[in-house]
Amino acid sequence: MALELTIVTPEGEAFASAIESVVLPGTEGEFGVLEAHERLLTALQPGPVEIRGADGAASQWAAVTDGFVEVTGEHVVVLVDHCILAGDIDAATAEKDRAEAAEELRGLSGAEENETRREELEKAIAIAEVRIDVAGRTSA
Amino acid sequence: MPNLRDIRRRISSVEKTQQITSAMRMVAAAKLRRAQESIEAARPYAERMRNTLSEVAASQTDAAHPLLVRRESVEKVEFVVVTSDRGLAGAFNANVLKRAEAMMKKCLAAGQTLEITTAGRKASEHYRRHRPDQLVESYELGGWISYDQAAHIGRRIIHRYEAGEVDEVVLVYSEFVSILTQRPVSHVLVPLAAAESAELVETAETSDLPPHEIEPDAEKLLALMAPTAVEVALYRALLENQAGEHAARMTAMENATRNTKDLIERLTLEFNRARQAAITSELVEIVTGAQAVE
Repeated sequence: MALELTIVTPEGEAFASAIESVVLPGTEGEFGVLEAHERLLTALQPGPVEIRGADGAASQWAAVTDGFVEVTGEHVVVLVDHCILAGDIDAATAEKDRAEAAEELRGLSGAEENETRREELEKAIAIAEVRIDVAGRTSA
Repeated sequence: MPNLRDIRRRISSVEKTQQITSAMRMVAAAKLRRAQESIEAARPYAERMRNTLSEVAASQTDAAHPLLVRRESVEKVEFVVVTSDRGLAGAFNANVLKRAEAMMKKCLAAGQTLEITTAGRKASEHYRRHRPDQLVESYELGGWISYDQAAHIGRRIIHRYEAGEVDEVVLVYSEFVSILTQRPVSHVLVPLAAAESAELVETAETSDLPPHEIEPDAEKLLALMAPTAVEVALYRALLENQAGEHAARMTAMENATRNTKDLIERLTLEFNRARQAAITSELVEIVTGAQAVE
């Protein structure tokens, strides 16, 4: 029996299909999931996801933000804020987002009240960088 | 005698109003459909998040996360009041504001101090006038609700809560019950409601599957998940508010269109009467004129 991957975001389902295996960016390091993986709950950080399709189809890449993953015997459910498949990423937009966030971060004083904004910008930069990275990876 | 031209001018002005209200009704109907789809799209994520959170919370009983624990004394309450940006939606915003005001009075009577965060321009305008000292932050919703907006607001609320600036956060918004009914509701957003956490633990225990392996550990995972749960609750409130706004506007504009129809009917009647009166008096003049000549 194949493995079933579902990527769910608050704005809807981003991916749902039967797959061979998936590599996910866990907070404790990247890890791969194959069929009959042990039941697992863990957190993800912004990073690339490599999806190997069923029947030896070519790898597909996607960029996810931070979130969580629940692995059971035959289901992998990824809960993230955003997920974009490599083919849908516009590298120019991602680059622009990164530059804007970096610019604002530089202009931000070290004051304590800016802490939340600073964390947000750092996260935005990390996400944009992942997108730029993933955009370059075609299904090779 | 009413002037014929004046009446005709009024009729055409009401007709123009009717065009606007019926166009707004149709726009609201289209937006409502999209808003309802957003609510549907958000549901699977919210449900899965809830299940996962309940499992993690249940597996970890010793040191509960601060966002899940009720503080012993609640001195400062933050109100997050959600309304729409724009009016012309009947009593939609007024109902939420009334509900919020009643809750605030209760808190003040209990000797608690208030802080207000608003989402939606209508709420901001209201509190800028009525409670300018307690209004700490206000957000506009802009065109269409995105999860990032909810996360943005949520992070600031959590930050204030964790820093001890507030002891409780109450969310007031309109629940989208149906197209005809939007109900103002309020519930405690942070700490994640006590009743709910009890229920969370219960549902987790009834599951007969073996528990998941949790990495790195339940405490750390819970620390990451609890803020997300707050953001999801906020996102849901914003979506319900959005759908409710369009539904309320649709109903309001439907009524307005109906009123313009009645008004046009009445004015047309009046116009015809005036026209006939004019013809009659003209005839009388001609007849009297003819009789005078004889």
